[in-house]
Amino acid sequence: MKVSDERDDVLLRRAAKGDENAFTVLYHRHQASLFRYALRMTGSAWAAEEIVQDVFMTLIRQPKKYDADKGEVGAFLFGVTRNRVMKHLERLPRELPLDPQLDSGVTNEPVDMLTPAFWAERRERVEQVRDAVLSLPAEFREAVVLCELEELSYEEAAQKSGCPIGTIRSRLHRGRALLMARLELLRDVPRRASAG
Amino acid sequence: MNCEEFELIGLDSGTGRITAAEEAAAAEHAGACAKCAALAESWDLARAELSFFGDATRTAEAPARVQMRLLQELRAQKRPHELIRRTGMIAAWGLAAAAAIVAVISWQKWNSGRHPIQANKNISAVSSAAQENQNGGAVIVADEDTGAFTPLPGAFPVAADDGSIYQVRMQRASLSALGLPVNEEGASDWINVDLLVADDGTPQGVRLHEDVTPSGTIQ
Repeated sequence: MKVSDERDDVLLRRAAKGDENAFTVLYHRHQASLFRYALRMTGSAWAAEEIVQDVFMTLIRQPKKYDADKGEVGAFLFGVTRNRVMKHLERLPRELPLDPQLDSGVTNEPVDMLTPAFWAERRERVEQVRDAVLSLPAEFREAVVLCELEELSYEEAAQKSGCPIGTIRSRLHRGRALLMARLELLRDVPRRASAG
Repeated sequence: MNCEEFELIGLDSGTGRITAAEEAAAAEHAGACAKCAALAESWDLARAELSFFGDATRTAEAPARVQMRLLQELRAQKRPHELIRRTGMIAAWGLAAAAAIVAVISWQKWNSGRHPIQANKNISAVSSAAQENQNGGAVIVADEDTGAFTPLPGAFPVAADDGSIYQVRMQRASLSALGLPVNEEGASDWINVDLLVADDGTPQGVRLHEDVTPSGTIQ
């Protein structure tokens, strides 16, 4: 069996013994989703990078922290990432600088549509939405990130957040309301500015 | 569906999270309720904007430098593991070698302890034969097949392995000097004998060579 076909727990055991290939496969399997979650929650690519690195460092230094009886490696990694994100948000409630990497060619639109005006408008809207998302309290933000951005089901989001489905629905409901209000406000600012 | 229910599940229309019946009920309510219709419209707009943000981060992933740092850490963690493994291997081989040496020494001791017993048995067997000869006047028979030595009078039982064996050519009469009875008729005959000499240089036993006395007897 190829290394890339191995199960996560097998890869983790091998990585714990120093197998670099196994670790690399495991890392590539999970790093992107963890990084996106951390990025969307913190709004900072630097913070997300630090968090992901910290999570995998924990895996390297203390592989026995993972208990196969409690769930899969992916769930364990997400749980550790989530804890790190929450600690980060407690320490630094909000980081506003927009990382330029976020907009670097990331779009599904055809290239010829990317006129300078389109690009500028889109960038502005992305920043507004990002600010609106980051203005949400952490629990509501997490529900929005998981259900709206990650497009997880309520069940999956509840599992990742470690709370009942009803709680996730409630948080998402309130998060949506706050987000709509915030976006309305942000949309009005340029209009008022241009009207004045 | 009422407004409260619409707020809870109506905004999930088109996400696959609610059933077709719920979607139909939500659409029907939105068609009849201007407030909920405005809410749905507002959310559709927000969701579209949210998707821009989602798209902007959809393919984001940790920079390559993170992987590099992690692999460095993995290598650093691996070194003590290898050291422990090598130390373990060396210790295991050392123990195995020590066990082998102990086994060889034990075997040698056991083996060397076994031969004196055999020699003692031979000597004691011949001793008893010599005793009979002295008491009953019978001929001393040295059993060439067993390679046993006829112990000399006053000699202590010594294993052949512990002493030295010398091949000696002598006149039969010389055996009397070793304390053995000699028949006068053949006293001047030359004979070949094996002489067992202890480590301290004293003769302990004698064995006839069959080329001189085909009968293998001391007479």
